[in-house]
Amino acid sequence: MACVYIPVQNSEEEVRVSLDQLPRDASDILDILKAEQAPLDVWLIIAREYFKQGKIEQFRQILLEGSSHEIDEYYAEVRYERIAILNALGAYYSYLGKIETKQREKDEHFILATQYYNKASRIDMHDPSTWVGKGQLLLAKGELEQASAAFKIVLDGDRDNVPALLGQACVQFNRGFYSDSLELYKRALQVFPNCPGPVRLGIGLCRYKLGQFEKARQAFQRVLQLDPENVEALVALGIIDFQTNEAYGIQKGMEKMQRAFEIYPYCAMALNYLANHFFFTGQHFLVEQLTETALTVCDHGLMKSHAYYNLARCYHTKGDYEKAGLYYMASVKEINKPRDFVLPYYGLGQVQLKLGDFRSSLSNFEKVLDVYPENCESLKAVGHIYVQLGQTEKALETLRKATKIDPRDAQAFLELGELLIPSDTGAALDAFKTAHGLLKKGGDEVSIELLNNIGVLHFERGEFELAEQIFKEALGDGVWLYVMDGRIRNSSMDSRDSTDQYKDMKLFHQLEEDGFSLELPWDKVTTLFNHARLLEQLHDTEKANILYRLILFKYPDYLDAYLRLAAIAKSRNNIQLSIELIGNALKVNEKCPNALSMLGSLELKSDDWVKAKDTFRAAGDATDGKDSYATLSLGNWNYFAAVRSEKRGPKLEATHLEKAKELYTKVLVQHPGNLYAANGAGVVLAEKGRFDVSKDIFTQVHEAASGSVFVQMPDIWVNLAHVYFAQGHFGLAVKMYQNCLKRFCYSTDAQVLLYLARTHYEAEQWQDCKRTLLRAIHLAPSNYTLRFDAGVAMQKFSASTLQKTKRSADEVRSTVAELKNAVRVFSQLSAASSYHIHGFDEKKIETHVGYCKHLLDAAKVHCEAAEREEQQNRQRLEVARQVSLAEEARRKAEEQRKFQLERRKQEDELKKVMQQEEHFLRIKEQWKTSLPMPSSKRKDRSQAEDDDGGNSEKKRRKGGKRRKKDKNVKGRYEMEEADNEMMDEHDEMEEDVNMINDQQEDGGENAQDLLVAAGLEDSDAEDETAPSSAVNRRRRAWSESDEDEQLEMVPRESSPPAGDRENSAELPESDGEIRENDFRDDGSDKPNRDAGDDDEVDD
Amino acid sequence: MKLAGLKSVPDAHDESIWAATWVPATDARPALLLTGSLDETVRLWSPDELVPAGTNTGHCLGVVSVAAHPSGVIAASASLDSFVRVFDVDTNATLSTLEAPPSEVWNMQFDPKGTVLAVAGGGSASVKLWDTATWQLIATLAVPRPEGPKPSDKSGSGKFVLSVAWSPDGRRLACGSMDGTISVFDVSRAKFLHNLEGHFMPVRSLVFSPIDARVLFSASDDGHVHMYDSEGKSLIGAMSGHASWVLSVDASPDGAAIATGSSDRTVRLWDLNMRAAVQTMSNHSDQVWGVAFRPPGGTGVRAGRLASVSDDKSISLYDYS
Repeated sequence: MACVYIPVQNSEEEVRVSLDQLPRDASDILDILKAEQAPLDVWLIIAREYFKQGKIEQFRQILLEGSSHEIDEYYAEVRYERIAILNALGAYYSYLGKIETKQREKDEHFILATQYYNKASRIDMHDPSTWVGKGQLLLAKGELEQASAAFKIVLDGDRDNVPALLGQACVQFNRGFYSDSLELYKRALQVFPNCPGPVRLGIGLCRYKLGQFEKARQAFQRVLQLDPENVEALVALGIIDFQTNEAYGIQKGMEKMQRAFEIYPYCAMALNYLANHFFFTGQHFLVEQLTETALTVCDHGLMKSHAYYNLARCYHTKGDYEKAGLYYMASVKEINKPRDFVLPYYGLGQVQLKLGDFRSSLSNFEKVLDVYPENCESLKAVGHIYVQLGQTEKALETLRKATKIDPRDAQAFLELGELLIPSDTGAALDAFKTAHGLLKKGGDEVSIELLNNIGVLHFERGEFELAEQIFKEALGDGVWLYVMDGRIRNSSMDSRDSTDQYKDMKLFHQLEEDGFSLELPWDKVTTLFNHARLLEQLHDTEKANILYRLILFKYPDYLDAYLRLAAIAKSRNNIQLSIELIGNALKVNEKCPNALSMLGSLELKSDDWVKAKDTFRAAGDATDGKDSYATLSLGNWNYFAAVRSEKRGPKLEATHLEKAKELYTKVLVQHPGNLYAANGAGVVLAEKGRFDVSKDIFTQVHEAASGSVFVQMPDIWVNLAHVYFAQGHFGLAVKMYQNCLKRFCYSTDAQVLLYLARTHYEAEQWQDCKRTLLRAIHLAPSNYTLRFDAGVAMQKFSASTLQKTKRSADEVRSTVAELKNAVRVFSQLSAASSYHIHGFDEKKIETHVGYCKHLLDAAKVHCEAAEREEQQNRQRLEVARQVSLAEEARRKAEEQRKFQLERRKQEDELKKVMQQEEHFLRIKEQWKTSLPMPSSKRKDRSQAEDDDGGNSEKKRRKGGKRRKKDKNVKGRYEMEEADNEMMDEHDEMEEDVNMINDQQEDGGENAQDLLVAAGLEDSDAEDETAPSSAVNRRRRAWSESDEDEQLEMVPRESSPPAGDRENSAELPESDGEIRENDFRDDGSDKPNRDAGDDDEVDD
Repeated sequence: MKLAGLKSVPDAHDESIWAATWVPATDARPALLLTGSLDETVRLWSPDELVPAGTNTGHCLGVVSVAAHPSGVIAASASLDSFVRVFDVDTNATLSTLEAPPSEVWNMQFDPKGTVLAVAGGGSASVKLWDTATWQLIATLAVPRPEGPKPSDKSGSGKFVLSVAWSPDGRRLACGSMDGTISVFDVSRAKFLHNLEGHFMPVRSLVFSPIDARVLFSASDDGHVHMYDSEGKSLIGAMSGHASWVLSVDASPDGAAIATGSSDRTVRLWDLNMRAAVQTMSNHSDQVWGVAFRPPGGTGVRAGRLASVSDDKSISLYDYS
């Protein structure tokens, strides 16, 4: 039994105080101590004993009494004990300050502690224990440098001062110099081998920090041997156990944590680890309790941060993002540097991403990436955010990095692929394929969306077989297989009802009755639609038709299927049915812009102008004018209205053109890459005669419009050709037209053939022109305009042959044959006009017939003339030959004479030379004049010239032609439009793409052109007498020049005054139709693509 | 059922070849292939080797149609100038020149007995029937005009008849129009029976099944081949697959298959049981205007032959088995 003996003053006796029986009231002891003037060390012992027994108040009372002024005075000599008492008080307040959580009180405690230590220092500046105490205080205040200095002072005095060693070790540890710290701890242990457990704890922590886990474990175990209830050691061992990452280790760790918790339920570290554990076991209730406790007991930032983090995670998994966000935020706030504890940033980023706060989320993920630049999940999240923010480039870069770091992350490849779709389908496809491969290899289920996307990309790249394989894989088993292998097909039905097939559902009812399962899961609809679309692309229209109907049978609201069926009907020229189907689609959604746009184009096709305009407007309104297709259609509408040249004034025409241009420009502003709008703008410019600019535009569009199977713009070829034509580059124009025919329409477009023929005509290649027209007739037998043109071409050929200054009898004979053909063609046309309205005035045809017959008569004369001429030529040749023979003889004779003269000259004397010569020259002159002259006279051909009429006018004609060309080109630009921008929007139905050929204008005009060129049509008089005849408004432009060719046909005075061409602007009936050529069909031409699910990164 | 390419003659004509038919074998010679072209000539080719066996001139503008009499002795060719020239196959002597203005001439076919030549009359909205003995016009089968005027129709208010086909029993005649309708006539009474609907684009070629007089195949610009029951007015089936206009259709002599030629530059063979294309020949480089199976008969010639002609000026011959 421990006890102290207080010596009784002035005696030998002592008072024995048993330490475990100290009185409850410290005053009793104090009274004794004071009364007996007990040595101060006794005071200290008793105070310490109170402290040990947890009687803090008594402890404080004794020490305060022991450091009072009276004591100071009374025990002035006893320095060491006084210092010890002060130091004890200082240490006590340091401790209070250290554990106090409230900043104000904490500071107060520290101030008190400082005061006591300062007091102790005043007693003895060099007392090491005071310094140690000061050092501890500074350490507690976090002032590491000063603490270190304080400990150093002590250690300089006594290098084995254990408390100073420990203090310094602690400083070093906190500074992160773990090996230094370890050395100091070791020294302390050497100096004082029996030191308590916490020293070994320090060693353990240093070892742990240095990564020497086994030694750390030994140290902690030693601590536990010395003090089985040491919580820190238990926790530390637990952590080490956790870090083994094995089930057994974790279990052991948990046991230790639990024990630590039982021993001391307020150890934040243990609480956090327990919470962490229960988070993973899913006992969220426990987590909340534990972390809340941890938060209340702990003031260490990182600890709190962990606690908040655990709490946040709890709410995060429960889906309470608001709360989770708050706690993550709180957690983040406790962290000085993200490097210390990065997880809450990640969590916060996720929650913010979920809540749509992309920018904050981004900054948090970026912090994570600062610490772990190669963290794939964060990279993906950042990439995803960039996508959401529309920063595609950055997103691409980030995702590429992610896939590079972890080439086995299917998710990253998926995101990357989706990102690449609009820009680089090839790379997108590769990414998707990689993802597909990875998923397959990993044994994961490959989502149908992924397969769908791969299929669509193959489809877009024109790899139809691959696309088909993929779609089949995606679709798996189902009734569609029977459709695809032809086992299910349309049954026979009355041909009159055959068009109802597009709407007929009987087939499917029948199938259901027959026991077929028509199961069509919702997630396969899109893929099935795409497959149908593929079949359509492969021209397997019948099967596509059934599949679309199957979709509609199961999902009557699937609008795109209606649109596709309508497009099929449209491509088969079944306009009525197509309109009906669109009507069905509009019943589903009366504001569907795609359906409205298609309806508009159908209405245009059936020549319902006003309706079409309204429909296009409605389509535009349905999308707030954002739908480029509707805008483009309206632009085209205006363009047609401008060039349609009904009884409209020039002002109206200009207004329409201007409006068209405005609309095209509007689309271009919205989507600078819209080829169709650019094309439209080019056309308007060309209409205004600015060929250079329009040529540039067309060329650029032409270059851009190659690649995707969905972008096919034959119009741009035609337009370019038109420009070449207008500029007189006939060769280039011909090549362009021919390429267009070959590439785009399998040479089935009679209209383009007509353009081609016209170019040949202008280039005066009559035979090519004729042959091209014959081909066109063969393609479009009912187009009588073509026959008329062919007739004109033959007539023109004949006329031009007859105009030639030199021609053979053969040529003339073929001319006669051609003229006969022309007469036949014209006569047939004339006869056919009784039952066909083809837009020509009979009178005019008869004029042509008459002219051809006249030419024929003339040709007979020509024929004879030519034959005669040939005869004469032969005779002339004979004469010439004889003349040249005579000349030769003469020359020889002269040479002979000259030779003789020379000889004579030599013989004669010099004085006679002059005389002789003179005489001789005279004689020579006489010889010359007497010789016959060769005939150089050619036969007069004035007669022929008179017949032709136009020969002498060649010059003027040339001048006229220039103008003609410019004029002709007007109104002949083809329109097309497609909203290629829509391609970008996946999941969205593709706009329809129309090309609207401005055909009618041209068909008629061409006829007119040729007519005029033939020199047959030119008079106001005619207009007056037959106002409804097909007189084109452009005619005036050429008539003046052309009349030269046809003097004998048209009275001169009839040429109209310049400027009133509009008077005669009358649309020929044959021109009354706008042909609209859809080269790319409408509705949802592009397969739908399901976006992969919006993935957020999960942890 | 398959086609195997046997021979191809490039530049068989100077210009696009637009028409082809087989002249049946006579006692003196085997069947010959007859072709007509934009180069205004009609040419004869010996079978299998495709050696030129004669060139007939005399047409102006392109030759759009050729037809051979079942006897194999005479044949007819027609051109864009609307003349039909009837000639002796072996001597090339002109037997007659037919015209029925203002009717144009498009497709022609001799009836199975060889007594009548049917000529599609284009814009005259009729089929002209010519007696092959006297070469007189014996009947005009007019296609009734559709009800209600269609002023917006540029191509004229009436039907424009492009193609004709005789049923194998000679009782029925079908003609196809620009607007896609097919009209069926009772020949003996010269009476219009009914229309077959389903196409809305030009029907350029028609052929009856040789084994079932009711079954009619039609080739249309809509890219489809339809199979009709010409008596029951019903559409039995529609076959799609060509990427562009179907310009020509012919039925195999065994009735199990049909062949089609298309603007998409291919020749396709269709199995009628499967109603699907079983083979696609893409040896031509331009539109295939004509396909023709060789009729059976002749000395020791049992093998099936199919010929095709194209805008690429070439003729191709295939073995059909």
